[in-house]
Amino acid sequence: MGKLKLTIFGLFFLFSSVSAVEPFRTFTTPEGQSVVGKAVGYKGTLFILMNQQGKMMQVGFDALSADDKAYLLNAVNEGRIPQGVPKRSEITSATSNSEPDSDMSVEMESDSMTVADQDETKILRPPPTKKPTFRNGSFFSHRPVALDEDPHEVVVDIGSSIPLPGEPIDFSRHVLPIFEERCNTCHSSPHEKNGKTINPKAGVVLDDHASIIKGNASGSIVEAGKPEDSIIYEVITLSEDDDLFMPPKGGPLDSEQIDIIKRWIIEGAKESADGGGVMVGTGTLPRDDEPVSFDRHIMPLFQDRCMECHAAPYVNNGRTIKPRAGLRLDTHESVMKGNLDGPIVESGNPEESTLYYVVTLGEDEAEIMPPKGKPLSDDQIVMIKRWILEGALARPAKFAADPNAPPKVKKGLIESGENFSVVGKNDSLLSMLSKRVTSVSNAGLKDAMKSGALVTPLAERHSLVRAEFSSAASLVKDDAIDSLTKIKNNISHLDLSKTKITDQGLNKIKGFGNLTWLSLRNTLAGDRGIEAISKLQHLKYLNLVGTAVTDRSVRTLSSMKGLEEIYLLNSKVTEKGVENLRNALPDTKVVLDTLILN
Amino acid sequence: MKTSFNSIDELGRREFIANAAKACLGVGLMPMAGAYIHNSIKALEPGARPASARHIIYLNMAGAMSHLDTFGPKPDAPAIQGPTKSIQTTADDIILSEHLPEVAKHAHNSAVIRSMVTSQGAHEQASYLMHTSYLKRGTIVHPSFGSWVAKLSGEINRTIPMNVKIGGGSHGAGFLESKYGPLPIGNPESGLANSTMAEHLDQNHFQSRIDLASKMNSTFTGRFPQKQVRAYTDLYRDAVKLMRSEDLNAFDIEQEPEAMHELYGTSNFGQGCLLARRLIENQVRYVEVTRGGWDTHDNNFERVAENCSEIDKALSGLLLDLEVRGLLKETIVVLTSEFGRTPNINPRDGRDHWPYYYTAFLAGGAIKGGTSFGDTDEIGRNLSKDKPVKPEDLNATLAYALGLPLNDVQYSPSGRPFTVAHNGDPVQEVLS
Repeated sequence: MGKLKLTIFGLFFLFSSVSAVEPFRTFTTPEGQSVVGKAVGYKGTLFILMNQQGKMMQVGFDALSADDKAYLLNAVNEGRIPQGVPKRSEITSATSNSEPDSDMSVEMESDSMTVADQDETKILRPPPTKKPTFRNGSFFSHRPVALDEDPHEVVVDIGSSIPLPGEPIDFSRHVLPIFEERCNTCHSSPHEKNGKTINPKAGVVLDDHASIIKGNASGSIVEAGKPEDSIIYEVITLSEDDDLFMPPKGGPLDSEQIDIIKRWIIEGAKESADGGGVMVGTGTLPRDDEPVSFDRHIMPLFQDRCMECHAAPYVNNGRTIKPRAGLRLDTHESVMKGNLDGPIVESGNPEESTLYYVVTLGEDEAEIMPPKGKPLSDDQIVMIKRWILEGALARPAKFAADPNAPPKVKKGLIESGENFSVVGKNDSLLSMLSKRVTSVSNAGLKDAMKSGALVTPLAERHSLVRAEFSSAASLVKDDAIDSLTKIKNNISHLDLSKTKITDQGLNKIKGFGNLTWLSLRNTLAGDRGIEAISKLQHLKYLNLVGTAVTDRSVRTLSSMKGLEEIYLLNSKVTEKGVENLRNALPDTKVVLDTLILN
Repeated sequence: MKTSFNSIDELGRREFIANAAKACLGVGLMPMAGAYIHNSIKALEPGARPASARHIIYLNMAGAMSHLDTFGPKPDAPAIQGPTKSIQTTADDIILSEHLPEVAKHAHNSAVIRSMVTSQGAHEQASYLMHTSYLKRGTIVHPSFGSWVAKLSGEINRTIPMNVKIGGGSHGAGFLESKYGPLPIGNPESGLANSTMAEHLDQNHFQSRIDLASKMNSTFTGRFPQKQVRAYTDLYRDAVKLMRSEDLNAFDIEQEPEAMHELYGTSNFGQGCLLARRLIENQVRYVEVTRGGWDTHDNNFERVAENCSEIDKALSGLLLDLEVRGLLKETIVVLTSEFGRTPNINPRDGRDHWPYYYTAFLAGGAIKGGTSFGDTDEIGRNLSKDKPVKPEDLNATLAYALGLPLNDVQYSPSGRPFTVAHNGDPVQEVLS
């Protein structure tokens, strides 16, 4: 039986139709092994048999005894066995003891089988990351070691989950990473790739504890406590030239990994003590002392909340749906790559990471992610923060990071007091905004300078710029704004003081979305202009000294919650208006001192 | 030299013209129709970090202000304090002398460094060190800090100079191009002297004279197309343009309402501060206002009280005015002197030169408000808190806030390397 079992294990099972009236009979092999079933289809020299339980298997013509060969030839010639691979729906409708739909994981198919009629529900799970394989000893198969890392530790870190001496094997920390690294290219849950559903080879799914214990159609692959009886242990310990040796590519598991699997089976092949963490949506939360795993913790969360918009491009109704903002979150590589505006994750530094920034915004802010549904829970946010702190690696770090540790202070900066945090916040706003735009183009710069604007980057190689019309400001009129439109997303500071800008001009800057600082000192700006700029969500500083702005703008200004400073000297806003404004914006500095009226 | 420290006499006519010639060479002016295109190379050469300030108003207390009787009183050490009392301010950490009650209301926006240390005990050398960050030598003239700022940060407003000095002082562009040197203003009330057209001339008449002059010069300038010759032509052209510039108004404090003049006080220094504010409004990078009369070897307490009444009004008025106009956010106001005065009081009721642990007052958006950095023991002679701050450290702090590249090397004509703050260390504790 053992040999046949192994044979079947290595073969592919297929679905079939029972439209042909074909009786059950016993098929035997020349070696004397036998199986009861009926032929339900064929493809080339492969015959598809279905047993009485409705399970299907695929048998090579040559593997059968002469009797069976003759019988099958005869049946095909008589047209009793349909050509081709039978479809699943035909089976389920025609078979009384059809399989339950949930039994997907034990269904099997050949690689060449079409998938058009597979389960129609869209599977959003991304394909497992394709790990490049290199021949043993290849230069490229070495893991790069950062300058401040100890190479020895890094080598141990491969697998990242070596149990300490005497520590019981933990499924999620020790065993699963091995499967993830070496097995799940072929043995992961069904997923979509290039529009095709990829099912696991041999129906063996190795990406969570339940599936592993379940095994495949031929039975379980793990016998708790008995590694010698466990197929999974057997195939990894076979000699390397054996056909059934696993993994078939990339060389054998190393002895430590084999030992971990063996010990895990000996210790009872148990699930992690806490069941792998708390279920949240489709993913889990890591324990406090457990390093965050990208695959098990971050990815499920992304799948649940982000991939509606940030998945790989796919074709729907003939249209290619591209990810929003050009940002894909479907693989570790794409997460780390970010989009055209630069990376969204700065490993070790959540405060500088756009990913962390956008999920921590307030619910009423326009930029919050995800834009639909509830914001992420605190636990999920902490998980993302920890993942970034732990280095934002593809596989779990060695140690869990403390999410409450004070942020790393850049060398030379002193951390203390309230001021620091305020400035730090602004700095991170500017650096966040700067990551979203590319550096100002030469053409845009030329255009801007034609109108007499002085355009200076905030700092060397900074993508944000300050634009000002200080030289001969009185010659600058509304049309000067047009010259800035090419670089409008780069402008964070705009100084229009003393120019002849009017409300029409201000109407043109409402699209300057990254503006944080705006001076309209001594211009003709009035209430309509304020209305026009009221949607500039990043605006922090607004100088209205000497403008024609009146109390009618108080309501508009009150809606600009992001404002930190408003200067109103010599405007038409009254004391009372200022009082109302101060009440509406308690955290904003509203400056109007009538002690020195001009 | 002594006059410039003890009084703020107007500059002599000859001296003014000599200075103006130097300064005006650099006064780039907007050509008539505004077709000027800013040099994009310069525009792309800012510092390495986003600046937290863009302008500096440097209030230079020439003659060495008695720090104990102004910004660094020691109320717990009556032996050295003399009759000067201390007062609380709006910041817990900062106490000031009773002579500065109005400035005390701005302490929450200000920081006081109480551990300034210089290596020079004579006015001229110490003032040179404060302004240039380098020791005075016979072989070279170092650029003043304002010239460094002008050189490294570039101009914002092309029609007026980047660097203006009000009320005397002698530190110029040094080995840097003379256009980075300060434009000297002797008396703030009279603004930029000799910059208006003579009354009997009309525009056409004037233009024909200029044309005639250039016609007569054309043979000469054609034969000697050298830098020095061109410089004179440029001087005439720039002077004419400045004369017609709308920003010339920036120099005219008479346009301010009476209430403004009163806010700053009618003293020369107060009006200088008012002019400084007008210049900052017009995007001048660096304005220095000098106030002499601090060399109080005798009768210290009376004279300091007298001086302080001016300083208190002018400084508090300046801070208030900048704040309500939204300008304080991007401006740093500095008040310091070349050194301090002795803790012990001499028999003439005066204090003598003391280069240790004197004070520098800083205010503005880039400054961490309410900070007091450094302190001394109860005899005022030894440091008891934080670290000493050298003149180059103070200048480095300012340069850091301005976003200037601290390690940008400029070479003197003999090829020696110099940097903006002579490798000083920014005092991060006072920066926000």
